[in-house]
Amino acid sequence: MDEQNSISRYHDVEFGDELPEVRPDVSMATVRRFGKTTGMTFWRFTDHEKARASGLPGAIVPGIMSQGILVAMIHRWAPDATVHKIDTIFRAPLVVDSEPVCRGVVTDMDDENRTVEVDLTICNEEGETRVLGTAVVGF
Amino acid sequence: MDIAELKQKWAGQTFDTVSFEVDGSELVEFALACGETLPRYTDRSDDDFQAVPSYTSRYHGRRQLPEGFPVDMEQSFDGGKCVEWQAPIRPGDTLIGRSRIHDIFEKTGRSGGMMFIVHRMEFTNQRDELVSIVDWKMIQKLG
Amino acid sequence: MILDLHSHSIVSDDGRAKVENYCQWIERKDVPIDGFVLTEHRQFDDASDYRGLEDQFGLLILKASEVETDYGHVLVFGVNDDLRAAFEFGQIGLSLETVLRESERCGAIAVPCHPGRTRVGMCAHIESRGEVPGVRVIETLNGGSRGNENDMARALAERKGYARIGGSDSHIVSHIGRCATRLQDPIRGMEDLVTALRAGRCDAIAWEDEQWISPS
Repeated sequence: MDEQNSISRYHDVEFGDELPEVRPDVSMATVRRFGKTTGMTFWRFTDHEKARASGLPGAIVPGIMSQGILVAMIHRWAPDATVHKIDTIFRAPLVVDSEPVCRGVVTDMDDENRTVEVDLTICNEEGETRVLGTAVVGF
Repeated sequence: MDIAELKQKWAGQTFDTVSFEVDGSELVEFALACGETLPRYTDRSDDDFQAVPSYTSRYHGRRQLPEGFPVDMEQSFDGGKCVEWQAPIRPGDTLIGRSRIHDIFEKTGRSGGMMFIVHRMEFTNQRDELVSIVDWKMIQKLG
Repeated sequence: MILDLHSHSIVSDDGRAKVENYCQWIERKDVPIDGFVLTEHRQFDDASDYRGLEDQFGLLILKASEVETDYGHVLVFGVNDDLRAAFEFGQIGLSLETVLRESERCGAIAVPCHPGRTRVGMCAHIESRGEVPGVRVIETLNGGSRGNENDMARALAERKGYARIGGSDSHIVSHIGRCATRLQDPIRGMEDLVTALRAGRCDAIAWEDEQWISPS
């Protein structure tokens, strides 16, 4: 973990701060690993050919895996904080074996409760937003 | 189909209750597959070892919708999930998940006309403490 | 004057941005817009009053709606009681013809948005069902568009001589101001905006490489 970029206290955070970008591993091997644990082994997630035949651009990353990836990004940024809420909208499929980029930025601060809200996005290689949402992080 | 009527009739009541045993090795695998690196989520020997906050999004009840719900959701897709973490979930916990329909509405988007059903699942542990709330938007194309 | 003419707050079912946070973001990140319009999905937000935020942040914050028609989504600027009595804002599949006609009659203006969306945008509907008279302005730059969707909108505007607007279509704070509209006249309120749009005194612009560009 990059300690230089991590936050430990509420007062270290400023409105507009950007979280360090993450380029997650959404390879077939990792998606299958996720699927084995969660039971999400349906061809939609694990078979490019069948997924394309059904009209999808390829096998797709499960939405809840995308969500978990975003939570992990927050934890890298603020290892001692707690994610109180994560709210993600799955706008478009994220393709397995692609190279997406996860980003976050602080867009609200609550001094009384020492929580921050973070805008979250996962974009594909073309820069199109596939997943977006927000999280509330407590310090 | 009258969406307002559908909502009035079906929203609010618990239609499914199911229990889950929390398995430590599954907690680790879930976390690692999502790229988690913190020991409290990836190392079973950590004093504070627990599920990642969004873990409960993986659980499903015995049915997605109440018995007799008039819409076939076989072709539905996942529009998004919201997880509200309330308390740590530890290996060995027994979670009770209670499901209800929280909201129903319609809108149009890239897929044309769609019905959104917000399925809410509330999780309590063996001490009857609320640990998580998951809202799941199920989307069914209309027409 | 530069305004983002298409944005959503938590009032919209899929909006996640609080308006105060939009204002803070614009100020903190020096987003070069003079204000924005909240175009909430399938409703007009009566309850919210943003005048305090306008004063605090020196921004123009206006309220409008995004309704859903048989030719795709449409932004409606200048919503008033007459217009709200004319059709049900919450209904999906409204007649575009009705929305255009009633907006005109009631002193508002209806602007088809993201018309280039595959299968569901106005361009696709025109191809399969023909045009609907009464369109004056369309959104040719939408911050949420993918692929060639904005290009298709631009081509339609070019072909038909429609005036053009831009908007971020932001649903989260950090997306405000991705695209916007340059207005040639000073805009002090919604009435001025409707007048400017009806006259076509507007242009769609996108923020790229640290400057506003107006794709031709």
